[in-house]
Amino acid sequence: MQPTVHRRLLAALSQCIAIAALTTLAAAAHAQSAGVAPEAKQILKASTDFLAGQQRFTADTRNTLEIVLKTGQKIEFNSTGRQSIQRPNKLRAERTGDLVDQVFIYDGKSLTLSNPQEKIYAQVAAPGTLEDMLDFARTKLDIVAPAGDLVYKNAYEILMDGVTEGIVVGKAVIEGVLCDHLAFRAPQTDWQIWIQQGAQPLPRKLVITTLDLPNAPQFAITVTKWNLQPTFDAKTFTFTPQAGAKQIDFLPR
Amino acid sequence: MTSILRAKAFVLTIALPLLYLAGVSPDAPASLTLVPEAHAVVGAPLTPVSAAGVARRTTRRVVVAESSATQASAATTATAQQQAATAQQQSATAQQQSATAQQQSATAQQQQAAASRPPGAPAVGAVVAALPAGCKPETRNGIEFQNCGGVYYRAAFQGNNLVYVVQ
Repeated sequence: MQPTVHRRLLAALSQCIAIAALTTLAAAAHAQSAGVAPEAKQILKASTDFLAGQQRFTADTRNTLEIVLKTGQKIEFNSTGRQSIQRPNKLRAERTGDLVDQVFIYDGKSLTLSNPQEKIYAQVAAPGTLEDMLDFARTKLDIVAPAGDLVYKNAYEILMDGVTEGIVVGKAVIEGVLCDHLAFRAPQTDWQIWIQQGAQPLPRKLVITTLDLPNAPQFAITVTKWNLQPTFDAKTFTFTPQAGAKQIDFLPR
Repeated sequence: MTSILRAKAFVLTIALPLLYLAGVSPDAPASLTLVPEAHAVVGAPLTPVSAAGVARRTTRRVVVAESSATQASAATTATAQQQAATAQQQSATAQQQSATAQQQSATAQQQQAAASRPPGAPAVGAVVAALPAGCKPETRNGIEFQNCGGVYYRAAFQGNNLVYVVQ
């Protein structure tokens, strides 16, 4: 009786040791695969630096946003948008789609959010640079500019914050343009970016997969057209209420 | 009959947020709508739209679920789905749930206090994603309100969403 128990204990112990060894091996293998490939960093940095160096540009975009219902069913919402940017302190973003037609204007002093169809708008004083304004809009007003990360001058640091893995997937064609396809992982999110090859390494597509929501919904933004020499007029960054438009408040956060 | 319906609507007003708190799908009758507008579900918690936004994501305020006899008559299956989406989003974080709990208890208190307001009227300060049916604009002191059967609402932006605050 006693020896049998002993043998069983020994067998169980050796199994434990074997499992521990395997786990260690697996962890080591994982550690090896983790990390960000230097080439992925390099391509991304070239792109964000290039965009940070553009003083004026417009980007026409097509966006899809997935929402997960309680049942687990995913619903996709589509919109198109145009972002007009003039560094250091002007921005106009328009979007039209399933959910809402909305115009966001930042003139360097104030920001205005307007729903033209409902003839309403709200306006509030804003910080003096694009970066500070985007932070202000997000933290104080709960307004998040889709893919706004890319507008920041330090976009690379913002995007790479918390990233644990990154690879170059390969070549891809987005909207007829040859791109490098990169994929990154961070604790709560996987994201992919497609960057135009050649002298103008512009981001062409960004997909964000949210890992900490059920069924991992995705947001995707595709740039259908970049214009690096746009013509802006006085109206581009100036908000003029339409006839009969009513001013409303932003609810404080 | 009418009084029974009203009582039922009132009970549901109290009970539904509790169900949301428990993270349970309320499986409310299809005739009961909470969030009749699609844009109410977007901008709540949330498929982040920026990579940094995921890490920096903060708790969204919750659009308070409102149910009233007026809205109940206007419900559709689609809005029931949106309502489910809202429920999903509301249960996304514990913080939001506690926010809901606060708003809900405020709702209960204010409903008791505001005896003169129409039965089943939402709490003062409550934020809803859409107006009930049959509202008429009314301007007071240069500010436009919506008079919805004696309950006044004022439009505001909550994040990117147009919402209405009960006055």
